[in-house]
Amino acid sequence: MAHFNRHPITPWILLAPQLLIVAVFFFWPAYQAIEQAFYVEDAFGLSREFTGLSNFVSVLSEPEYLTTLWTTTYFSFAVAFGAMALALGLAVLADRVLRGAHAYKTLLIWPYAVAPAVAGVLWLFLFDPTLGILPELLSAIGIDWNHKLNGDQAMLLVVLASIWKQMSYNFVFFLAGLQAIPKSLLEAAAMDRAGPWRRFWTITFPLLSPTSFFLLVMNVVYAFFETFGTIDATTQGGPAGSTRTLVYKVYEDGFVGQDLGSSAAQSVLLMVIVGVLTLIQFKYVEKKVQY
Amino acid sequence: MATLALKQLKKQYPNGYKALHGIDLAFGEGELIVIVGPSGCGKSTLLRTLAGLEDISEGDLEINGKRVNELEPAERDIAMVFQNYALYPHMSVFDNMAYGLKNRRTPKDEIQQRVSEAAELLGLTELLDRRPKQLSGGQRQRVAMGRAIVRKPQVFLFDEPLSNLDAKLRVQMRLEIRRLQKRLKVTSVYVTHDQTEAMTLADRLVVMNGGHVEQFGTPMALYDQPASQFVAGFIGSPAMNFLSATQAQTGLALPCGATIALQGEGLATGAELTLGIRPEHLQVLGAADALPAGAAELEARIELVEPLGADTLAYCRLQGQSEPLVVRLDGEHAVAEEQTLRLAILPARAHLFGADGKRLATREQATAAIE
Repeated sequence: MAHFNRHPITPWILLAPQLLIVAVFFFWPAYQAIEQAFYVEDAFGLSREFTGLSNFVSVLSEPEYLTTLWTTTYFSFAVAFGAMALALGLAVLADRVLRGAHAYKTLLIWPYAVAPAVAGVLWLFLFDPTLGILPELLSAIGIDWNHKLNGDQAMLLVVLASIWKQMSYNFVFFLAGLQAIPKSLLEAAAMDRAGPWRRFWTITFPLLSPTSFFLLVMNVVYAFFETFGTIDATTQGGPAGSTRTLVYKVYEDGFVGQDLGSSAAQSVLLMVIVGVLTLIQFKYVEKKVQY
Repeated sequence: MATLALKQLKKQYPNGYKALHGIDLAFGEGELIVIVGPSGCGKSTLLRTLAGLEDISEGDLEINGKRVNELEPAERDIAMVFQNYALYPHMSVFDNMAYGLKNRRTPKDEIQQRVSEAAELLGLTELLDRRPKQLSGGQRQRVAMGRAIVRKPQVFLFDEPLSNLDAKLRVQMRLEIRRLQKRLKVTSVYVTHDQTEAMTLADRLVVMNGGHVEQFGTPMALYDQPASQFVAGFIGSPAMNFLSATQAQTGLALPCGATIALQGEGLATGAELTLGIRPEHLQVLGAADALPAGAAELEARIELVEPLGADTLAYCRLQGQSEPLVVRLDGEHAVAEEQTLRLAILPARAHLFGADGKRLATREQATAAIE
């Protein structure tokens, strides 16, 4: 301690690179967004006028915004639930693999290294109505796949692509969580006459709850923000706004529609929504978590 | 209550390691059997094969005369107390004990009754609402036993259940386990590496070494008649002293020059063997005392004294012997380091082991002392 007191600057120098990055890429844009949300700018960006809360009022009274909010809600739920359930299933299987476990795990972790846009393009090609393999196969069983026209199919596509991308992340955490459960607990349960299914739901699953809770928070944040690249590369929010999530609308209104004030107001709202969701998760879900 | 029989039981792991080489044992109803041995001797593997947590590679395991090799752990009606207790951390003490009963769809009021009975028996009634992490080591141990008891199984298995407890608690829990087992009369198999625990608990004792059974018998039989040098060295604390000896015309010649009127049965003159004598069986002679008939006389210089209160252990240097000779003396015996003790090995107290480590039959040479 005495050492630090003599050189009060040292810790700050050591922290500086990180602080600089956070300041440039988070605090400054966040501040800009909040400031921007209270102004209306002219079409050429030459002048702007303070308008108070009018940006927020117009966003919230827009029926399209509520539609987008609803779309985002079920998109996020589908992605978070799907990515977690699949990852948990795969982690349980991987935990049992004895031979070639390393290769198996590495292969499952790979999708995380793929950029969201690339993941989106990958799925786009697979499902392309004219070029893709899957619509060809689907038509054989009587399903007419065209996500460029069918909103539900478009939603399914972005959900699939987003799940595929996030699953690896969840898999790593679930696998670590599973491996932290002492084998003797499951052996004790086996001797206590619990079958594999019951062992999983009464022992493994409750003991994984801290991991699941952490992943729930991370997956909701992921679905809200980080799926932008995937959506932009596959459906661009279409058809007819059926895959337009809040973050995509922020981009559309601001950078395509050039309505920076409204876009900024929406991004502030988005920040608030995610903040509130995270708070709710900590307050209510965490209580049921077994540490 | 059940009988257990192991017939040529073998265990080989997929990587080729052979943990058990043909174990033949039979345990009677209500017996408390202790399996003891150094780490890696296969004792835990043996217990886990009994539990059904490890497959049996060859041979048969029978409970009440019925082969159970292929039965799942749950179907064998066996309860096990694990070394780390393996309590479910997210359940209360009550739920921990009730879990096995719930899985068998036992009626609610019966669960309630059986758990409270077991809790009463183990002094856990006040703790039923607690979580395992709010309990002390001894309490967790009791919960683990309670979980085994409520199920009223045919067989109890204990996998080094006391090794995580401190020394004082270990002695206390050892007594409790013994008392409980006597009261419930459930056939029990108890694995430990601690020979004191093994001696005090066992009705009968299995000493294992390198995947083999070295000896199976009552604790006192193993103490009095160890079948091998390994058992002799493992059972008894402090361990038996071993002296190298040579078969001579009139008895056995010890490296320090002494002779004892004792011979290994069927050995040629000049054959090398090992003589074992327990620290408590070395007789201390006063300067004027006559040497008992046939005994070997040793002059041992004390290097280190360990007073234990009731006893005093003297670690002595003996000529021609690299290992120190341990002598157990009365607590009142005043001895000092650097002092020389005059000791006698009586032929009746000596154990002989051949070059293969097996016990040799002995022949006392009554005439040797007279010559």
